[in-house]
Amino acid sequence: MPTPTHWIVTGNFTEDGAVAWRRPDGTWSRRIADAGLVVDEVTAKALSATARASEQREICDPYGIEVQVDGHMIDPLTARQRIRANGPTIQLRRPD
Amino acid sequence: MYQYDDYDRRIITERADQFRGQVSRRLSGEITEEEFKPLRLQNGLYMQLHAYMLRVAIPYGLLGSAQVRKLAHIARTYDRGYGHLTTRQNLQYNWPKLTEVPAILDELASVEMHAVQTSGNCIRNITADHFAGIARDELEDPRPYCEILRQWSTFHPEFAHLPRKFKIAVTGAPGTDRAAVRFHDIGLRIVENASGERGFEVLVGGGLGRTPMIGEVVREFLPKRYLLSFIESILRVYNLHGRRDNKFKARIKILVSALGIDEFRRRVEEDWEASRTPELELADEEVARVSAFFAPPPYETLPANDRVDALVLGRDRELGNWVRNNVVAHKVPGYSAVVISVKKPGIPPGDVSDTQLDAIADVADRYSFGHVVVTHTQNLVLPDVKTSELPGLHAELRALDLGEANANKLTDVITCPGLDYCDLANARSIPLSLEIAQRFDRIDYLNDVGDVSIKISGCINACGHHHVGNIGILGIDKRGEEFYQLMLGGSPGNDASIGKILGRALAQDEIVDAVEKVLGRYLDARESPDERFLETVRRVGFDPFKEAVYGTADLLETTGDSP
Repeated sequence: MPTPTHWIVTGNFTEDGAVAWRRPDGTWSRRIADAGLVVDEVTAKALSATARASEQREICDPYGIEVQVDGHMIDPLTARQRIRANGPTIQLRRPD
Repeated sequence: MYQYDDYDRRIITERADQFRGQVSRRLSGEITEEEFKPLRLQNGLYMQLHAYMLRVAIPYGLLGSAQVRKLAHIARTYDRGYGHLTTRQNLQYNWPKLTEVPAILDELASVEMHAVQTSGNCIRNITADHFAGIARDELEDPRPYCEILRQWSTFHPEFAHLPRKFKIAVTGAPGTDRAAVRFHDIGLRIVENASGERGFEVLVGGGLGRTPMIGEVVREFLPKRYLLSFIESILRVYNLHGRRDNKFKARIKILVSALGIDEFRRRVEEDWEASRTPELELADEEVARVSAFFAPPPYETLPANDRVDALVLGRDRELGNWVRNNVVAHKVPGYSAVVISVKKPGIPPGDVSDTQLDAIADVADRYSFGHVVVTHTQNLVLPDVKTSELPGLHAELRALDLGEANANKLTDVITCPGLDYCDLANARSIPLSLEIAQRFDRIDYLNDVGDVSIKISGCINACGHHHVGNIGILGIDKRGEEFYQLMLGGSPGNDASIGKILGRALAQDEIVDAVEKVLGRYLDARESPDERFLETVRRVGFDPFKEAVYGTADLLETTGDSP
């Protein structure tokens, strides 16, 4: 697996289960591009714990993931997180 | 089919009301996700990768047309225009909003449906032979017993917190197992003893998942009246002695394996002798009362000489292939059962759109007494179609994109949602299935290869039943990337067997090529066109297939590999 350059914090929105990415200001976005980057796993874990404690109404089960950052592109290191970031790889009957 | 009584209606309505309150408290922040999670799971609501998923219970797969229309309405109104047929005869929605789930449960309750027993460590929705009640090889309709088990198990207080989930399947056709009863926690086969009395052969400890096991016989013949008391004793022994320290070792199959079937049987019999009471005995009147809900529909008296052969051999080859592959003999002269395949190139296997569901309900009303059955192979069955009306029905299904002539054929793939949806998955399943559907979408090739099952799971939990596929594909994670193991030799039926890994794991762009090589080797190796794929694999062993996939040199390298 490639070496991570950064970590970001993710979870799912309580209201509809959509994938959520934590911004640098502690609010949550539906776009991975908005995610706040941290440079070590310890900080990501601390932010996840903060989110779990104080942002649980809005967000379910926050946790940190490893990413590589190239310019403005945030690229998760695993297939799972890439699919979470981009949506199902198959055509949906009705994308909404 | 079964009709709710006041008690059924009340408990389902009350459950929906309770969940509305729980959702409200979750959304307000009054309860945390940790507190909410067990509550939502008890109502069939999961969190997947991109959204919630709501799994709707369809007891023994049987639906009335009004229920099918309601499922269509929910898909259209609250989801993204489709539902997904599951490998336990249920239907799930992949995109419900938490805020709308209480309304969905109200909608379901209005047609005597719900989402309980589709998640959590309880007795799950009871499954059955999808040809129950109509199969020529059936000794007795298993659905009344499924319904009795459903009523007994729903909200049973003693078994609400088992060590792990618990699945029961029932078949009334002792000669042909279409319900995979040997791969359930409890499998029930209706059999006759030497005196001609009917009862159940009870199997226990079967299952797939990370430790696949074939169920063993815990009782060769159980008189029907003891069905509930004996199953209670099995569950009580499991509840007491099943492991709770490790969820991966918590299924009953692990307990049965650890104790050995003889000791497990001794404990069950001991509990049964000590605990069975008259109130759990199934009175004949109660069986008759429930059976009345499954009385045959008003069949017409039709000549036995139907037209199936003529249709198979007729000029309309599309119709002929569909009749040959998707039409099943019925126990009533002049009638047939029809498998509606929802495995079509370009469409995720098991997905059915809202418009298709509405149309299927209409077709069921006009052709099949308003009944539809969900199969564990992720298709639908119209159980009671007049054979003379098959051409008209086929034309209508074709117009709905539901006329695929591939039931039980290569492209009728069982596929779990995989990493496109599922939080547990390691790899995607649906894209492989779509590639298989496209690659082999040639009816002459499908007919030549014959009955061969491909089953794909995106992780070791085996929702796609890969262990019992003639060809099984298992997605695995290698350092964050998707790889696939190819397995051969599995079977879910009376000749039950668990497939074995062929060799090293393959990349996504290699796996369908490997399947094609395996099939090519089968076509070369079979003794006659009548020798099925599974028979050839059992006769010639794995080496010819290893050579086909990996090459001779690679065979040496991969022998003993455990990816």
